[in-house]
Amino acid sequence: MRITCFVTGATGLLGARVVRRLLEDPDVRAVYALVRAPAVFDSPAVVPVLGDVGAEGLGIAPAVRARLAREVTTVVHCAATTSFSQTLDEARATNTEGTRRLLDLAAGWHGVTRFVFVSTAFVAGARTGVVPERAVAADGWINAYERSKAEAEVLVRAARGDWTIARPSTVVCDDASGRISQVNAVHRALRLYFGGLAAMLPATADSALDVVTADHAARGIARAALAPYVEGETFHLCAGRGAMPLEELLDVSYDAFQRSPAWRQKGIARPVLTDLATYRLFESAIDDAGSVRVRQAVRSLGHFVPQLAYPKRFETTGADTLLGATAPAVASFWGSMVHALVGAHPAREAA
Amino acid sequence: MTAAPGIAAVSYAVPARSSSVRELAAAGSLESDPGMLERFGFDRVRIAVDETPYDLARTAAESLLREHDIDPRSIDALLYGGAPGSIAFSRPRDALAGARALCDERRFQYPATRLQFDLGLERASVLGLDQLACTAILGAVRLARALCIAEGLERVLCVSSEFYPSDAGREAITNCTSDAACAVLVERNAARNRITAGVTVTKGYYWSASAMRDEVMASYFPTAAHVIRRTVAEAGWTAEQVDWVMPHNVSATSWEILFRLAALPNARLYGDNIPRIGHTLAGDNFINLRDALDGGAVRPGDKVLLFAYGYGAHWTGLALEA
Repeated sequence: MRITCFVTGATGLLGARVVRRLLEDPDVRAVYALVRAPAVFDSPAVVPVLGDVGAEGLGIAPAVRARLAREVTTVVHCAATTSFSQTLDEARATNTEGTRRLLDLAAGWHGVTRFVFVSTAFVAGARTGVVPERAVAADGWINAYERSKAEAEVLVRAARGDWTIARPSTVVCDDASGRISQVNAVHRALRLYFGGLAAMLPATADSALDVVTADHAARGIARAALAPYVEGETFHLCAGRGAMPLEELLDVSYDAFQRSPAWRQKGIARPVLTDLATYRLFESAIDDAGSVRVRQAVRSLGHFVPQLAYPKRFETTGADTLLGATAPAVASFWGSMVHALVGAHPAREAA
Repeated sequence: MTAAPGIAAVSYAVPARSSSVRELAAAGSLESDPGMLERFGFDRVRIAVDETPYDLARTAAESLLREHDIDPRSIDALLYGGAPGSIAFSRPRDALAGARALCDERRFQYPATRLQFDLGLERASVLGLDQLACTAILGAVRLARALCIAEGLERVLCVSSEFYPSDAGREAITNCTSDAACAVLVERNAARNRITAGVTVTKGYYWSASAMRDEVMASYFPTAAHVIRRTVAEAGWTAEQVDWVMPHNVSATSWEILFRLAALPNARLYGDNIPRIGHTLAGDNFINLRDALDGGAVRPGDKVLLFAYGYGAHWTGLALEA
């Protein structure tokens, strides 16, 4: 079988890796890569397609659309805005409405037999406990990103009969080496703690951090696109049982910080773990009385660290079977990642 | 006999004049919105006009000796923390001249030795403490306890007197401040208020309160919670056993947060003086202890924790068995 893929978000952290993974499969004939600006890809099998999920018809030229309609067999929708601090309208504009626009467009592509939607494990929002891969309901969400993705999942399930949903956890580094090629909210948070501008974390005794490497997530998404189809399959591309208990994570993080003598000398305290109500009280006091800098720090954390107060473990049975392996345990790369973030840039210590 | 130092007596003095938070705001003495400061629990503060720091120090120490009928000659040491040299003898409106006098021969004027003389503390050796900001009196008590144990001193009088800097308004990081003096008598074998532990954590990284204000704000809570837990542990108590917390009189909201972080499920916060006086640099914890003892809130045997933060930066906890 010859497969022709259409990948959105093809220049993003995950999308670019997904494209490379897809091309490793000899059955993949070509990859049409949606790009907002002209882009050059390593492989001649990748065909850039100018467009934007923010535009109706994805802003793709009619002639190109006609070709896609004829040729595409597999859609992989990676494009998203992953900021945790955006408003619901902003998040919906790209993540929910962008998905709707793609679904509308792909409805006319009659050769498509697989529609892979890249969601997030955190559509589980405020759920606690074990989250099955097929779970659809959440008890509210921590930020607009989670909610917009959950809403997009609903659209995908309703629109198509050939959907597969890939739900990666938060991606924090490229691979098990801990290398970071794209800084995100988790890294910015770590820098706030490193800089002594963050005081506490909302957590429970069971809190653990589930994060993954871009490699693992991309491999999972590509496999979800290429593996034999099973109806209604949803995959948690998550650390699962390999998530790191929060206390242990702080130990490793602060050990990495302490490798800097200049940092050690400052005596910056570890954040104190507290319940969500206390954390919210602290946020509100800082909002009232904090300086602009501290207020910004606390607000930026407030968009996602409360997720830690809803301890959950993502079930990964389907993803493990799909990939023939579990995700790398967070403990295997977290220390290297933290060191890559703060240790490789001693100049930041003076900031 | 093994020494069991404790707090035998506490007295304090505040200026006659008081102002409300609204009056302070109208006078341009606050950075923050007065409504917010009221929500944080502040109402009135005491502001020196005609008093000097030395006047209040003397008033507080004299009261202590008089109220408890203590022979001044029984005091072995006087530990003084507070306004230095000529500033201690200046009224707020003369503070600048007082500060300038530190650069001439009036630098060699010493409020602590004058206090020794004026109070007739004939046998008392004198020691001054500096650099401890709002934890000066706790530092003095810690040192007094050590002197009782190490040198066998029977009675050490600790005195702190400090006015908020005259050109700095009336607000210290969203806390309204009063001028005040506090005197604490530490006895080698006190009948009550035995000191069971004292813990201080100093972090010099935060040496400039103005330049490091943001970092101080962020570091305050985790370090405070740590010091409180350590003080409780070193006293040999469990968190559940703490009956009272004598706070430094910072915002009631910050205490609500710290109480939750420190996890002292049965402790009560003696917060009556937060609206009445606000925060003093001289000795909130002991001012509160005195009022709590006088009012019968703290009963014999109660486990009492004192905690204060001082610019510089110092986090100090003290454990007492009332």
